[in-house]
Amino acid sequence: MAFRAFLIAVVGAVSLAHAAGAQTDYYNTDAGRPLTVEDAYATERYAFEWQIAPLRLERAPGGVYQWGFEPEFAYGILPRTHVEIGAPLAFVDAAGVRTSGLAGLDISLLHNLNVETTGIPALGVGVRVLAPVGGLAPDKAYPSFKGIATRTFTWARFHLNGEYTIGEAPAASAGALELSRWLGGIAVDKTYPLRSLLVGAEVNARQPIHEIDEVEWTVAVGLRKQISPQFNLDGGVGRRLTGGTQSWFATFGLAYAFGIPALMRVSE
Amino acid sequence: MTRINVRLGRITIGLLLLSAAPAALSAQWVTTYEQFYYPGSFNWQFRENYPSADRLFNGFDFGHAILYETLWTEPNAPAAELEQKWYDRLTKKILVNPPPVPLEEAAIEIAYAKLAPEAKQMFDWAHLLHRQIYDVWADERIPTDDKDAVIAKLIRYYKSRPDLAFSSKPKTMELMEGMPYSTAFRKNYPKFNGLIWAYHWLQVGLYEPLVTGKDKDERQTGIVAAVARFRQMIENPPTWMPRVMPMTPAIAPEFTKRYPEAAIIFDNLHSMHDVVSDILANLAVPRNRKRAEILLAARRYRDDTSYVMTEHAWREMASAMGVQNMGGPVMGVLEGFPTPTVARGAVMAGMDHSQHAAAAPQKPDEHAGHVMPADSTSPARDTSHAMHDSAGAKPDSGHAMHDMPHDMSADHMRDMMTLHMGLLEDPVIRRRIQSDTAMRRIMLDMIREMPPEHREHMEMMLREPAGIPIRKDGTTRATPTKTKATTSTKTKVAPTKAAPVDHSKHKP
Repeated sequence: MAFRAFLIAVVGAVSLAHAAGAQTDYYNTDAGRPLTVEDAYATERYAFEWQIAPLRLERAPGGVYQWGFEPEFAYGILPRTHVEIGAPLAFVDAAGVRTSGLAGLDISLLHNLNVETTGIPALGVGVRVLAPVGGLAPDKAYPSFKGIATRTFTWARFHLNGEYTIGEAPAASAGALELSRWLGGIAVDKTYPLRSLLVGAEVNARQPIHEIDEVEWTVAVGLRKQISPQFNLDGGVGRRLTGGTQSWFATFGLAYAFGIPALMRVSE
Repeated sequence: MTRINVRLGRITIGLLLLSAAPAALSAQWVTTYEQFYYPGSFNWQFRENYPSADRLFNGFDFGHAILYETLWTEPNAPAAELEQKWYDRLTKKILVNPPPVPLEEAAIEIAYAKLAPEAKQMFDWAHLLHRQIYDVWADERIPTDDKDAVIAKLIRYYKSRPDLAFSSKPKTMELMEGMPYSTAFRKNYPKFNGLIWAYHWLQVGLYEPLVTGKDKDERQTGIVAAVARFRQMIENPPTWMPRVMPMTPAIAPEFTKRYPEAAIIFDNLHSMHDVVSDILANLAVPRNRKRAEILLAARRYRDDTSYVMTEHAWREMASAMGVQNMGGPVMGVLEGFPTPTVARGAVMAGMDHSQHAAAAPQKPDEHAGHVMPADSTSPARDTSHAMHDSAGAKPDSGHAMHDMPHDMSADHMRDMMTLHMGLLEDPVIRRRIQSDTAMRRIMLDMIREMPPEHREHMEMMLREPAGIPIRKDGTTRATPTKTKATTSTKTKVAPTKAAPVDHSKHKP
């Protein structure tokens, strides 16, 4: 039932894809689309990127389903820098008990330090704050700091991400979904440029904010496809191999980019 | 002491290395960046309205990218790697079925993009302007008078990136052909070079039908014709390929008149493409100098002072180079239509085609375009070979209708027959026709073209001895009388059918 609903949501999002008009780049990956590990590049200067339908469905043992829906807006506010605001909505269906709500307001800034060259990988740094907004949000703001490296070879491209969150762990009952103390991961992707298709895989390790929880190892595969200059789709599947909840998950995303002329500098 | 010296030496070497590292790092530390294109409802209209041509451009992106990547990563590969393997793959596969969306060139020219990301960004930024100008002219919703203002804004937006924008001053050929590394690419890879120039011919050439077309239909035809011409160019390479770099004033003169600044930018862009190819292809440029040379060339193409010439000189140069050496003009590559010999609505039923020399036995469908009413949507003629025929021979229209003496309405046909009958009624004229074999043959041919119900009567009239007058009712009088020219425009024909002939009712 949950999987069917997921498919319906995917089909609905795809059918919307033909309505809008802008350009989105399948080659520049973004966290959660579909993999957690992302590349070191920010959204283009002046571009707004609206992630219309970033869906995630997770199934844990015992028939617990968790839906995630995190619409996000990213804006290329400065050269090589974007600011992103996301509103993660979570729906948990555990043996008939349903919980849903906003799991915080996710505000982040990513700055790409340099473009990859022959001798140096592309590097990026980011800062993120999960604000205490919503029923499933943590009780206070949790800032995180992130470092990213991207290195491309003719046969594949690699991304390395490391993130650390500061702040005391919230109370166990606070309902802080997916809050990590630290996260590290590596992803590899391969591009098929004539098909505008990117296929990737990742492995990441995450220490939940509560230290007593064991480290969660997760693997996932996914792809991104440019279906028109206006849209690209992404989808992935993965599994948490260790940790308190060893679950399967599937993700789906659709993004639309646009610009606002009034914000763009034009020479006189 | 010796130990101290060794230690000092090591420290010195270490310091030297450390001081060199930032220099090496700074040489590699690049902070160029991508920027979103200027928004507007015109974006992607070229793709919407001219999808085949638009997709070709996606294929061109692959061509440029694989060229640079191959030259950089396989400098010692035999020429066949590009001249045969990649050339064939491009022309026989990729350009035949090009990608439906713009390509990410960084995913193709992976190593080259790391070598000179700044140059790559310059090309990307200019390619955006290229596409957006197509889009504006492809957008039928924008009134023609408003397009100039939109394009002016796009150019201003383009120039808001002085780190990427090509100069609006024309550059001399010295910059492209006078450097130590110049012409290496065209000498070693003539076919691929010709292909790149053919790309450039089309990329500037497509503006011309867009800006000169009076309506969308004309623009569509012009675009299709230009694409067809491009495909002709890559037949039997490098025979028909441009022999010099296509210049916008020569290939797209009306576009250049309207947007000289854009035309200059695009010529500079295409010129720099050649320069990068030469730097990469020329083995005399050390590998560790290629990035520096590319960036130096890039700086010169951006500034308004290096190797510049006047706009007038640029136009003159384009003219002197000769459009015929650049692949030829974009406009006028289709021959005009032949002059029809039948009126619209002409009727063929009942006519005897057997005497017409051109009337080889026709299959039914070969008449399809000629049966009445005449098909106003008959398919365009194949001019692909006619373009190579300098004599411009007109194609055979392929139907005996050219020999039909009467391509006319029913009323006109009646008038003609009345005239013929009137002439044949006159024994003097009849005698003259009968005695003149050429005139008799012409008259017989004409009679054979007539509907059967008139033919018999006319044949009878022609057969009658000239001394016997023929009455208007078709009968003859035994004794000749004074000839009398008849000027009657109305005649009662002795039809085999009772009713007058109505051609409009004839069915194929």
